Amino acid sequence: MSDTDHSTTPVIQVRDLEKVYTVHEKEPGLRGSLASFVRRRKTLVRAVDRISFEIDAGQMVGFLGPNGAGKTTALKMLAGLLHPTDGFVRVGGHIPKERRTAFLKNITLVMGQKQQLLWDLPALDSFLVNQAIYEIPNDEYRATMREFSEILELEGILKKQVRKLSLGERMKCELAAALLHRPRVLFLDEPTIGLDVNMQVRIREFIAEYNRRFNATVILTSHYMADVTALCKRIIVIDKGHIVFDGDLSALVEEAAPGKTVRLELSENVPDERLRFYGKLISREGLFADVLVPRNETSRLAARMLAELPVADVTIEDPPIEGVIGTLFSGTNKQPVDAVPVGAEQAAR
Amino acid sequence: MRARLNKTWVLFSVWFAHMSAYRAEVVIWMLSGAIPLIMMAVWIGKARAAGGQTGGFNEQRFAAYFLAAWITQQLIVAWVAWELDYQIRQGHLSPKLLRPLDPMWEFFAGHYSERLVRLPFMLLIVFAGLLIVPGTRLTPDIWHVLLYTLSVTLAFFTRFLIAYCIGILAFWFDQATAIDDFYFVAAAFLTGAFAPLEFYPPALRAFIEWTPFPYLVYYPVRVLTGEAPGPEIVRVLAIQLLWAAGFYALRSALWQRGLARYGAVGA
Repeated sequence: MSDTDHSTTPVIQVRDLEKVYTVHEKEPGLRGSLASFVRRRKTLVRAVDRISFEIDAGQMVGFLGPNGAGKTTALKMLAGLLHPTDGFVRVGGHIPKERRTAFLKNITLVMGQKQQLLWDLPALDSFLVNQAIYEIPNDEYRATMREFSEILELEGILKKQVRKLSLGERMKCELAAALLHRPRVLFLDEPTIGLDVNMQVRIREFIAEYNRRFNATVILTSHYMADVTALCKRIIVIDKGHIVFDGDLSALVEEAAPGKTVRLELSENVPDERLRFYGKLISREGLFADVLVPRNETSRLAARMLAELPVADVTIEDPPIEGVIGTLFSGTNKQPVDAVPVGAEQAAR
Repeated sequence: MRARLNKTWVLFSVWFAHMSAYRAEVVIWMLSGAIPLIMMAVWIGKARAAGGQTGGFNEQRFAAYFLAAWITQQLIVAWVAWELDYQIRQGHLSPKLLRPLDPMWEFFAGHYSERLVRLPFMLLIVFAGLLIVPGTRLTPDIWHVLLYTLSVTLAFFTRFLIAYCIGILAFWFDQATAIDDFYFVAAAFLTGAFAPLEFYPPALRAFIEWTPFPYLVYYPVRVLTGEAPGPEIVRVLAIQLLWAAGFYALRSALWQRGLARYGAVGA
């Protein structure tokens, strides 16, 4: 990507990255308006608080976190849209906020339903604009369009006015427009938001294929856990501006949910007390029961249940990833590594 | 160079297609900028009441002045302050910032190609104006039209860049378009759209000469109508170039500082 880029250097390097916003606050109603007219109250919000990580070429990383956690702010700093308040960030050897041509030609940021397509014209016109702006040679443009059309099934929609396209069709065109210049670093912020399940799967497959073909580095945020589990082995969890987890998805499950669920189908009724003997009874409906057992004792306890209880069927499962993440965010399992209170100050303007 | 030409051509042709989709709205916008045409009727009425002329202007001279002023106003229209203000506040600027092209050039292409959509309707209205006041001569020859094209292009650059600078202020203020509203009021009086500057008090006129306003309408009009002698045309073009360059420099400085404040909200 650049002179400084070589195989051993991570494509994305982030150290102590910080972003503090100034937010104006106002009480509701006329009184609040009058008070704000004379004296505006400002609050400093630390959206990203000294996060650090590195990502190697070709890696696909999932950014997870609740709304307002700071993941989109972090992505925008990586893409050069936002200037960091402090810290170090390099993407492909470039400092994003400088927005150099070589940097911009090698990245893309797809932002859910925010569109770059010209609303009143066919998507093809927007593609032509991008071809010209990114100086894509005709042969390469045609080849890429052929490929994208095939994978994303764009045939038949490229000549329709963008405003007449369905959400799914528009999203496919947005994705194609964003990747037309074959960037090596992809920042995907909720790329499947609002799409139906089939379209989500199609987009996911496309991203996976793109990653494989071009060895692209991908950071993905999504509220759909299926996007993340299907695409990313590595997960970075951000909460309140801090990284609270960075590692394998499987490790996240192990760390955040130290138990497994033993799902029992009993052949005859058993009192709840007997089931609680083996672990935490998390649900019970007639002959069906879910018992949460410590991860490291799963085999032993499952074997005992099979031997000691009238079991017709048994399955052992990891808790659903949504639940794991929910536990993580609710703070019942883990606190931020070095929690720093959100800075706030008041000032008159 | 070839890539740059291709970029220019594609941007203009795509934005022309985009603007053509709004051709009905363009005509309405044109009619909303009718102040010079209204003032033409007022001043012609005044000349008639004064026995044929006032302040050295007869009916035909007024008609030529205000028709040229109207054409000029149409050709320098810029709405980029509103567009930029909206895009900065709503975060819609983000997709443009991700591309290796200063977003200004896309806005510029939109404005410039819109002139082509405007042109046929403009010619119709000017033709009607010339019929209404017989004997009116808009321009002496094709050379003045060519010099006017250069002058009005520089006037457009200046107006576009002023509007761009105002729009950039949205990085600092909640509603930068309020400043553009103020510009409209100032421009109506100071560009010469209400009256030729010959009718202004000398002190006010001397002040106006130090602002970019007369170089947006009044002087290009003098170039088109053949009222400006050769040395004045050279002076006007040179000063227009300086104003355009000055606002370009200001725009670049504001843009760099503004980007550091961009919140990219919602996007």
